[in-house]
Formats: sequence, structure tokens, C-alpha cells
Amino acid sequence: MKTIGTANARTPIKLGLLLLLCPILLWLFLLVILPQLTMLNISLQERVAPRIYEYGFSNFIAFFTEPLYWNTFLRTAIMSIIATILTLIIAFPISYYIAKMLRGRAKGLLFVLCLIPFWVSELVRTYGWMILLRESGVISTFLQYIGLVDGPIEFLYTDATIMLGLVYSSMLFMVVPLTSTLDSLDDSYIEAGYDLGGNGFSVFWHIVVPHAKPAIVSGCIVVFMLTLGNYLTPILLGGKSSLWFTEQIFTQFITRFNWQQGSAFGVLLLSISSLIVWLGLKLSRQSFSKVMS
Amino acid sequence: MNISRCRSLIAVGFTLCITAQSVNAETLRLLTWGGYAPKIVVDMFKAETGIDVEVTKSNNEDMIAKLSATRGGGFDLVQPSQDRIASAHAEFNIYKPIDMSQIDNKLFVASMLDATLKSSMYEGKSYGVPHIWGTSGLIVNSEQAANVKDYTDLCNDTYRGKVTYRLKRPTLIAFAFSMGLDPFAAYDDPAEYEKIMLQVQDKLISCKANVKAYWSGGDAMKNLMRSNETVAAMAWDAGGWQLNDDNKAISFVAPTSGALGWIDAFAIPRKSKNESAAYKWINFVMQPKVAAMITDSAGNFTASKGADDFVNASLRAKYKASFDTAAIDNIKWYPPVPAGLEMIEGKVLDRIKAAK
Amino acid sequence: MLNHMEFDLQCTDIVRKFDDFTAVDHVSFAIKKGSFFSILGPSGCGKTTLLRMLAGFDNPTSGEIIIKGKSMNGVAPNKRPVNMVFQHLALFPNMNVSENIAYGLHRQGINKVEIKHRVEQVLARVNLAGSGNKQITQLSGGQKQRIAIARCLVLNPDVLLLDEPLGALDLKLREHMKVELKQLQQEFETTFVYITHDQSEALVMSDQVAVMNHGQFQQVGDPQQLYYQPDNAFVAGFVGDSNKWSASVIDILPDSLKVKTTTGLILSVSKVDNKSLIIGSEVDIFIRPEAVHISQQVTANLQDNHLNIKINNILFDGANSQLLVEEQNSGEEIKVKLPQTAEFMHLQKGDKLQISFPFQQVKTFPKELEVS
Repeated sequence: MKTIGTANARTPIKLGLLLLLCPILLWLFLLVILPQLTMLNISLQERVAPRIYEYGFSNFIAFFTEPLYWNTFLRTAIMSIIATILTLIIAFPISYYIAKMLRGRAKGLLFVLCLIPFWVSELVRTYGWMILLRESGVISTFLQYIGLVDGPIEFLYTDATIMLGLVYSSMLFMVVPLTSTLDSLDDSYIEAGYDLGGNGFSVFWHIVVPHAKPAIVSGCIVVFMLTLGNYLTPILLGGKSSLWFTEQIFTQFITRFNWQQGSAFGVLLLSISSLIVWLGLKLSRQSFSKVMS
Repeated sequence: MNISRCRSLIAVGFTLCITAQSVNAETLRLLTWGGYAPKIVVDMFKAETGIDVEVTKSNNEDMIAKLSATRGGGFDLVQPSQDRIASAHAEFNIYKPIDMSQIDNKLFVASMLDATLKSSMYEGKSYGVPHIWGTSGLIVNSEQAANVKDYTDLCNDTYRGKVTYRLKRPTLIAFAFSMGLDPFAAYDDPAEYEKIMLQVQDKLISCKANVKAYWSGGDAMKNLMRSNETVAAMAWDAGGWQLNDDNKAISFVAPTSGALGWIDAFAIPRKSKNESAAYKWINFVMQPKVAAMITDSAGNFTASKGADDFVNASLRAKYKASFDTAAIDNIKWYPPVPAGLEMIEGKVLDRIKAAK
Repeated sequence: MLNHMEFDLQCTDIVRKFDDFTAVDHVSFAIKKGSFFSILGPSGCGKTTLLRMLAGFDNPTSGEIIIKGKSMNGVAPNKRPVNMVFQHLALFPNMNVSENIAYGLHRQGINKVEIKHRVEQVLARVNLAGSGNKQITQLSGGQKQRIAIARCLVLNPDVLLLDEPLGALDLKLREHMKVELKQLQQEFETTFVYITHDQSEALVMSDQVAVMNHGQFQQVGDPQQLYYQPDNAFVAGFVGDSNKWSASVIDILPDSLKVKTTTGLILSVSKVDNKSLIIGSEVDIFIRPEAVHISQQVTANLQDNHLNIKINNILFDGANSQLLVEEQNSGEEIKVKLPQTAEFMHLQKGDKLQISFPFQQVKTFPKELEVS
């Protein structure tokens, strides 16, 4: 009792601060914490008979015992990781070019060009890809027209197409943090790197990458989470074999009315993806607060 | 994460919806299929009764999902298929019984009304009256796939990557019949039903290479058929007749194992705010002339007695071409789905989707 | 030409043009091995461009840079035997002190044991032994300075380039680092090329100073030469403190000239070796504050310039204290050095005195056409 008393005396609650925090706390509680808790609650209920539910772990057990669900999640996670790496590999030179090679108007222009695709909704962009890639689409027709192929070619509904769509829709979230971080790297560091005898690779690896590391990691986290949680792109571009975990969740909620199973999947998606991000941070020796600041 | 957002948004959305609606009592919030409430009929109803109809387009699963999310609120009248009313109500408690005193039963084809009242029975009360009926069967491009006579023909190697169907329960049931099994007979025996479904599962997995895409909306299916990306599909009769308008080679074919007959019904959600408007709408659209207008719009016939005489001749001709008397006798009407069967089907569908 | 081997760095006729702007305009010079060479000029004079060409970050439009007898044309920065200390030092923040110094050695493929040894050695030589594990942020300004230099010197470059590295330091530290830099240079016996706009840095540390303006070298010489024998008006005005007046020639005598300033002050000044000078020619004249003698008694020497003045202001700055005085007839303002001796301790604003200076001390240059 005594310790509690002194602790209270040492940290008097500041009413003003509390009031200021109120909106953000309410926001967090109502839109983030409360739905998650409700979902957790629902996920722990199992149906025993119509309108009768009991608490239990069967929904979680189903995830691990039915190889279908587990494999779908694994596939989604691996595809997301590959998409994240590809996005990084493609976005880095673009960002470097914008941040370091261009000056003035050209710089702003190219940056805006990277943003423009994101002024239309994801759905429209994905349908754009479908118009291009479908069997009776633009590319197939063009290839036939120039005589490169004899019959129509279907580019849609493959894993490569899903990857293309995912990388395309994630690009911005990698380019923006990378560009702003690379922009803040003073040219003299790069020049010093060369001046002291470094070649292109060693300057890139020992000077540019360490500087950009927080942006690389934060870009990767955002892209990974977005890709993992993406629904439209894999479904539309992947077609009959899309097999994306969010689709599984959607199916459970909407077409199977199995909210219990869907919630369990939701909780699992959140926890396993958080685990993957945590592992990524550990491996790259970055702290979450540093990366996100 | 996405789903949890989705869930809270749905909840918030419905709350807003309910508050907004309670201000104006003379509105009928109708949750139905595309084409079932054409604008011209909505306008006529407004002129006659002064009631606005707010139409939300949906499908069977979506209707149940929406109503179960709100425990039967958000809409005044919904139109699920008759076989899925009782089971959904048993599971989620989302409907209220039909008050037959408010329904003008002379407007209905008696046999259909009786069948629907019976199939939507839960604890001695009926929860649905029939509206539009139709069948699922095959849509075939006769120039390129004349040999497709039954569902299993879709799995013929000749049509590799050239067919499309939905990945939903009607497909499972259709293939079961086509494989010489009788799923409806096994409705009350889950173990037997599961055995049938596992056979269908194997068939559909081995057939997966033939599938161009699993369609989910009628427009996507029509697109695939029109562009010749697919040559045969399992789909609704109305879709086939509509495609026939553009391409004479494409039309609806009743499969040899029998088309699957469905009836979309009217049901009243448990928290309906405007029941009287709902009954007014039912009696309004069941008048033969109005029903014929809806047939023109939806492409399917209604349970309205005498409406067929007002339906345009070409649709009647297409119907006659697709169904001879034997084919009509062979239609397999969906019996009410017992609660719990959909769990079995769900897993089967998931496995088919996941197969390579 | 002189023997190549005597010079670490030679530049012949270097030109660098940016579109229609010429940043470096036909510059030639040679720097003796082991000397401290400064390029002094106002900002925008082209000295940074010149330094970047020496380092290899920029290429001359024409002309040749020769280091240790080898032409550097087309040689990349990382292949040149020169290293650079950047204006803001550019110490890599993600590496500690040792790693910063070892960076260049690693690039040369030297083995780890050798690197460790050489890093420790160079740290000791810059008096920072034992600081190898410190992070860059833990160092003081002066320590960073020394690490930046050590990082270059550990590679034994033929020439070390320094781009105003003292600019960011406070005055006291800057004074200290001037001395330290000079000592380091002598200790390592490396050729330093130092660019600055601060004349005091250039004069204190350098063996040779090039004064640069508008892309051209105005004068190259040792600090004394620049100070006492400026070649032109720009050098006279830029190096050291001077009173500068515009005047016109009113009489040409065998040893000296008589000129009249724009305010009407008549002075005897040294004669220029310029045949075209005639009576009425416009000239710039310069007199250093410390060359002016002040006295309270009237002395008679007709050869000198004698002026009666009134003290307008006393600018006390210890040994650098000055008087701002006004000539009685013309009202011309003159800066005069105030010796901190007992004789002048009691001077006050408004006091009247006499000043004098020999005509030889007044440098005269024909008026240059204004360069816009």
C-alpha cells in the first residue's frame, strides 16, 4: 500500500495532458483496440448447434490442422516477402535517381509522375492491368498484330501477374520514404566515399545503404503489411488460383457466415504478420520507433 | 486488420443507415438481386403509394451476411432464395414470419406459393413467399462447344482453359447430379452428404485446368462468353438468353441431368421498420402486368399468376427453345438447406480453390 | 619548364566553363613538394570549382592537371593520389572513429592487422590515441577536424585538399586549429592545398598563397609578398586591412606622384611603373592603418604627408585597436592603428592630432575598369 501511495504522489495526473490525449486515445480505443478485442472474443466462440456458441479454441486449431489454411497463409506470406524485396530492388534506383541525380523541376516532376497512378483507386488500376493483360486484351492483341505470336496469349491468372500487380501497387510506399531519406544524404558523404578510394559498390554498400536503412526497413514494413492485407489485386489478377489469405478471411465472413472462423483468421493474420515484422527488425538490427520516426 | 476495419465500418454504416432512415418513415429499404426492382416499377410504386424504394443489389450469401451482422436490421424487405431462408433463420434469427393476411394470395401461382411457404417453415411458421424463379444450367457456344450437354462435359479435355463456372454450392450440387449422385436425398444425412461432396471435390479439382476463371458476377461471366475467352459456362438461364441477343450461337441449354430450379422469395427481416410498405410492394409487383415488366428486366419468370401472357414473345420463344416438357419435368428444385450443411460445402469449396 | 619531380601538383591553363559562365579562367600554377599552398578568394571566385577539379569531382573544360608527373585527365576521384577534407568534414555517421579512418585502407585491400596498426598510429599522431571506439557524435569540433584529416593522411596521399574546414568552428578554436594544421602539415610532410576566404588563415599557415578573383589568379606569392608588395588593387584591398581611396594624378615628380582624392585631399604617393600614367589619370591608392604615424606634436618633414585630424571614434580591440579619424580640411575618414602605449592611453573622441606617413607606404594602382 505504501509503495502505491508514493508512486501516485510522484506522478500526479495532469488533467490538461489527459484532455489533449483524449481524441487520439478515443480513436485508438474505438477504431483499433475495441474491434480487435471484439474480434478476439468472436474468434474464441465455437458453434455447437444453431444459435448456441461456447468458448473454445477450435477455430484456431482448425487453422493449424487444415493444411489448406496454413498453406494459404504461408503462400501469402512468402509472396508478400518476395513482392517486398522486388519492390525494394526496383524502387531503390528510382529513388536514388530522383533524390541524387535530378535537380529542380525535373526532380519534382518525376516524383509527381510516381504519384499519379495513386490518384485513381486501386480497383481502377487493377482493372487497367486486366485490360492490358487479358487474353483478348491490349498486349495479346498487339503481339498477334505484329506477328510475334500466332494465337491469343493469356497473361492473367498467374502468380507472376499477381506479383506484378502487388509490386506496382506498393511502389509508392517504398519510393516516398526512400527518396526523402536519400535526399537528406549530403553529397559530400558520397564524394568522400569515392575520394577515399571507394568504388560504386563500396560507396553504395558502406555509405548509401547504412544511411537509407531506416527508410528501407520502414518501407519494407509498410509494403509487406499492405501486400499481406491486400485483397483486390490478388483476387482480380490471380483469378482461379489466387489463394490469398485475406480472401480466405473474406470468404469466412461473407460467403460462409462463419464469423468465428473469420475472426480467428484475422487475429492470426495480425499476430503472425507482427511476428514476421518483429523478426525482420531483429535481423536488420533496427528499432521500430527509430524506423517509424 | 482489413477485415476488422471492414467489420467496424459495416457496423457504423448500418447504424448511420438506421438513424437516417427512421427520419423518413415512408421509405422501403429493399435488399434484392440486380434486375428485380427496375426503375420503372419503382417509379410506378412511388406514384401509386407515395413510398420511396431504396434498392440495394446483392446475392444470397451477401444478404445473409448483411442481416446476420445486424441481427436482422437495416432493411425492410429482402429476397433470398427460398431454400436458404429457414436454415439462415435457424442459425442467425434474422427474419419474422410472413403475415398471410396481408398478402393477396390470388396473385400467386398456387403450387409455387405452397411450396415456398412449406420450404421456408421454421418451428411451424412460414418465413417466405415466392417471387421469381429460374434455373441454373449450361450456357454453350454451339459453334465451338456443341458437345457440352451436361455439367461433367465441362471437364472434357477439349475445353482446356475454355470454361467458366462459379465456385459456389450450386456448382457442387449440379456436378453431383451429373455424376449420377443425389445430393438432395442426402440432405438429412450429413455423413452421406459429405461423402458425395468429397467425390465432387475430386472431380472439380481434376477439372481445374479447364477453368478459365471462377466467375462471381453475371457481367464477368457474360464478358468471358462474349469475348470467346470461354466457350461454355455453368450459369443462370437468363444470362444465356441475354447473350443470345448478341450472338445467336450462344444460348442456354438445360443439362441432361436436369437444370437446378430455384425460387427467389420475399422475406421480412426481424427488425424491419416498415412492414406495411413491404407487403404493399409484394402485392404490387405480383400484379401480372408489373410482374411481366420485372421478367423483361431480370430475364426470368415470376410466380405471378397470368403474368406470362404479358411477357414479350422473344423471351418466351427462348424459354421454349431451352426447355421442352421433359426438361421442365427434369428440373431439380432446391429443397430447403438443413443448417450445418454449408459448413461441409465451405471446406470443399476452399480445397478446390486451393488446389493447383 | 622545371623538373617535374620537384612539384607534387602542377596545373597548366585550367579553364572550367558552365554554359556561358567561366568559373575558372586560364589558371596555371605549380606547388612544391611538401608545401602548404592556399587559394584565397571571396566566395564565388572559382576556388571551390578549382579544388573539385583537383579532387576529380569535376573536369576542366581545357587544360591539364599533373600530380607527381602524371596527368590526371580522365582519372576518377578514387584513383587519384589526392584526398580531400570536406567543408563539413563528411565523417560517416554510421561508423565510429576507427571505422572512418579504416574505410580508405579497406578499399586498398590491406589486411586487417595492418589496418588496425595504421589506424592506431595515425590516431596517436593526431593526439587522439584511444578514441577509436568513439562515435562521431561524441567528438568535439576540433576532434572531428583532426579525425577528418587523419582519415585522409592515413592513406599517404601526395596532395591533401582542404575545403575551408575551419569555417564552422568558433573563433578561439579556429585560431588554435590554424596552428595545429600547420604543425600537422609539417609533421606529415604532405603537400596541402587549402582554400579559404579568410585571409588570416591563409597568411598564418601558408608557404605560398594564391589570391583568386573572377576565376583568375591575381597574384601568387608568400604571405609577406602579398602583404607588402601587392601586384594589383584587388590584392592590396583583399589582403590585410587598408584605407582605400580613389584619386586623380595632379603632378608627376621624379620619385613620387601627387594625387587628389575625390574629397579633395592632396597626398604624395609612390610612383607606379606605368608609362601611360599622365596628369589627370585615375588611380586607386592604399595605405595600411599601421603605416600611419600619429603624434601630438607638430613635426616638420616636407617629404611626408602631414594631416591634421580629429578623432571620430576609438575602436578598441586589444592589440588591433584602431582610431577612426577625420581629416580637418577634406573630411576624409582614415583608419589608423592605435599603438597600446602609455603615450596614447588617454586619447578621447574629439581630440585633435597630427598624422603622417611616408609616400613610399602609399601603394598606387591605375584605376581598373570595373568588372561587372
